[in-house]
Amino acid sequence: MHRPQRTSRLFGAPLPWLLALLSLAGGCSEPDLVVYCALDQVHSEDLIREFARESGLDVRVEFDTEATKTVGLVGRIREESSRTRCDVFWNNEIANTVALASEGLLQPYDSPAASEIPETFRDPERRWTGFAARARVFIVNTDLMDPSEVDSMDDLLDPKWAGKVGMARPLTGTTLTHMTALFQMLGEEAARGYLTEVKAANDRGELDLTSGNATLMKKVRDGVLHWGWTDTDDYYVAKSDDYPVAVVYPDQGEGELGTMVIPNTVALLAGAPHPEAAKAFIDWALSKEVEAELAASRTMQIPVRADVPRPEHVPNFGPDGYRAMDVDFQGVGEELVERHTWLKETFVE
Amino acid sequence: MSRSLVVTALVAYAILGLAPLFAMALRVEPADLAGLLDERTLSLLGRTFQLGLVAAAIAFTLGLPFGFLVARTDVPGANALRTLGVLPLLIPPLFIAMTWCVLLPEFRGAPATMSILGLSTFPLVAVFSARAFERIDARQEEAALVAGGLPAVLRMELPLVLPAALAGACLAFAFAVNDFGVPDYVSSVGAKFNVYADEVMFTWKEIQQPGKPVATALPLILLTLGTLIPALALRRKGAMATLAGGFRRPAPLRLGAWRWPAFAFALGLVVLGAGVPIARLFWEGGNMPRHVGNAELSTTEALSAGWTTLRDSFGLAFERARNDLKNSLLFSAAAALVAAPLGLILGHAIERSRGWKGRALELTTLLPLAAPAILFSIGIIAVWNHDTTARLYDSAWMGPMLLIGRFTVFAVLISSGAVASLNPVLEEAAEIGGAGPIRRMVAIVAPALRGALAGAFVLVFVLAMRDLDSAILVPAMNKTAIFRAFNGVHFGRDSYVAALSLLLIFAVVFPGLLWTLLTKRRLEVLP
Repeated sequence: MHRPQRTSRLFGAPLPWLLALLSLAGGCSEPDLVVYCALDQVHSEDLIREFARESGLDVRVEFDTEATKTVGLVGRIREESSRTRCDVFWNNEIANTVALASEGLLQPYDSPAASEIPETFRDPERRWTGFAARARVFIVNTDLMDPSEVDSMDDLLDPKWAGKVGMARPLTGTTLTHMTALFQMLGEEAARGYLTEVKAANDRGELDLTSGNATLMKKVRDGVLHWGWTDTDDYYVAKSDDYPVAVVYPDQGEGELGTMVIPNTVALLAGAPHPEAAKAFIDWALSKEVEAELAASRTMQIPVRADVPRPEHVPNFGPDGYRAMDVDFQGVGEELVERHTWLKETFVE
Repeated sequence: MSRSLVVTALVAYAILGLAPLFAMALRVEPADLAGLLDERTLSLLGRTFQLGLVAAAIAFTLGLPFGFLVARTDVPGANALRTLGVLPLLIPPLFIAMTWCVLLPEFRGAPATMSILGLSTFPLVAVFSARAFERIDARQEEAALVAGGLPAVLRMELPLVLPAALAGACLAFAFAVNDFGVPDYVSSVGAKFNVYADEVMFTWKEIQQPGKPVATALPLILLTLGTLIPALALRRKGAMATLAGGFRRPAPLRLGAWRWPAFAFALGLVVLGAGVPIARLFWEGGNMPRHVGNAELSTTEALSAGWTTLRDSFGLAFERARNDLKNSLLFSAAAALVAAPLGLILGHAIERSRGWKGRALELTTLLPLAAPAILFSIGIIAVWNHDTTARLYDSAWMGPMLLIGRFTVFAVLISSGAVASLNPVLEEAAEIGGAGPIRRMVAIVAPALRGALAGAFVLVFVLAMRDLDSAILVPAMNKTAIFRAFNGVHFGRDSYVAALSLLLIFAVVFPGLLWTLLTKRRLEVLP
């Protein structure tokens, strides 16, 4: 018969070839190390490739997307906890890492490379270590305003800026961590009051709540908004693309909270299938060289060790620089789920 | 058809498409259902319903006349417009939203969400309508034309194509209510236009109640099923209404003075839904610097710099995403190659089974389409991430397996509709002649439905290529081009993301284009 042969050619012939190609896609080979990485793929991929080359290990890295902002990988670690396949979690923030530690999904590893990292950024039980931080700053469009016009989180609600200011919706990523920290710093009532006013300002069309920090940065960069709250890495991407933007480290006045600084974190998974390779990776990630490379990259990650070399545009925090918010990260991580539920009900109505 | 063949297909579908959902359903406890009827939840559901309704109405309003013009009239470039009209469906709706939010900064909130989703899904109505318009017998149309000219033709044809157009609108509704990227992106200021899919995503973080996201998704699943079931009933009605013996294809209707305005309307839709977003991606791919230091660039310098950036962006995108593009193509093609015949067997069984068995089978196959992608992905982890299946879960095979489970339903829908137009007498004769079920399927059914099979292949391929939601959780799917593109969005290097998105769109469009060029036949996505 003529026609059946044509049909079987259409669907039957390519299938074996595709299946063979799928096998060649390499998915079946067992890697030496599996890393889940929430830091932007464009920045971390080359660095991790460098580690793989130096160590000779076959490293499988899986990334997160902007759409899920860490939640994807954190959720997957939880879902896979019946059979852990990930060895190392490199998170681009801290609260979700602390939450995973509280749930017993991480195991201690006291990396020698972390000995000079301030205790603020280390878990007392050594289940996670912080490094290479981002600060929560104001990005200002200098074509539209003078950066000195804003310096406090209260400016966000000043009627003077109605329709000209914004922040990311506080439901994911660093914005969620930041707002959870506000509960700790301001107290329950004041934090709820502040965030309720933010939502009310958004409802009135006075304050833009974007889907993420990158979107907020783009709006300020393009002059849609005058200024907004974002992360240093987003600010620096706009700056290095020659947009007319400046950065303000907020809340530096007497009695004010200081600027929120959120480190990357790296952690060894409980039940990691390749613990020795994982420890080697963690030692490498926490080295001063990697922190210096991250500081020099377009992400402008701020070293948490004062003696790590950095470009001039990456200011220090602490005694030699701006004042950082004094946050108990352990507490923030433990409160994250509860605060998220309240924020969801407030902002997703 | 052989019972064993159907049972084998059903078992395959149950493992790949239904087991993940079953695993999720097992998590639900009575406490998880509390709060489903509270005011906040109902308000979100009501708003989502409203979004779906208006988006579907826009899709209907745009798609029905578009389908009529390209299928039945002498509008200039009808065939090209008909092919190009599918493009807005192939472009991820978030790309369309990003374009229009940049071009019209004031266009926000509910109206923007509804319009963008309506624009993105109008091809569904257009394709359904065009196919239905083509099936109207020339004799009927000639009689109407003699009796009352074009208005009489439209009065006669509208009731005949309405079921098909409404079925397309129902699918547009289902797509709209399950989308959370577009509402989230466009309603960042003013009264927030939150939708129910947001709630499902955020509930997933409430780790104390692992069954809560599933329970939360139930109303959305019921809403989607509640729309799809009437859509199928409408489609069946449409199919029956236009199947007549001795069918004669009608000649194109002459539009006279309306020919060019009609052309402008159809072309305008293609430009708004696909032309402008693609042009914007090219513009962003060559993202021209406005300054070098403090010096403003001249137009020539800016254009030259833009061209260099565009070239570099494509170079970077191809260098970084080469393997991801390869994976996307492999996974999608493998999924489509399996889904098309699997869909044919199940679709045939649905259409040829009379009574409740056929309807129950149809309803069961719809479940992966009705369930939110995030639940399906968590279900994949629950089913496959065990010591016994660890090698498989960690391998690239998981990619096509997930896509087959999620998208075979489209192949089933296309095939069942196509089988409805196939006279069973041929199969009966072959059976009497001693042909077995597989031989009948290969020798009688499949050749007759070659166009529909190819349509099923392309649709599954396209949906698989642009699927991001389910890629978030399953390891193999992290190595795909759409995943890399959306990972890059955060980085802010717009030119790289734009170039990558264009490569992705090209890869999505390519198979359909190839089919059309090589066979000179349109894809019979619908019966």
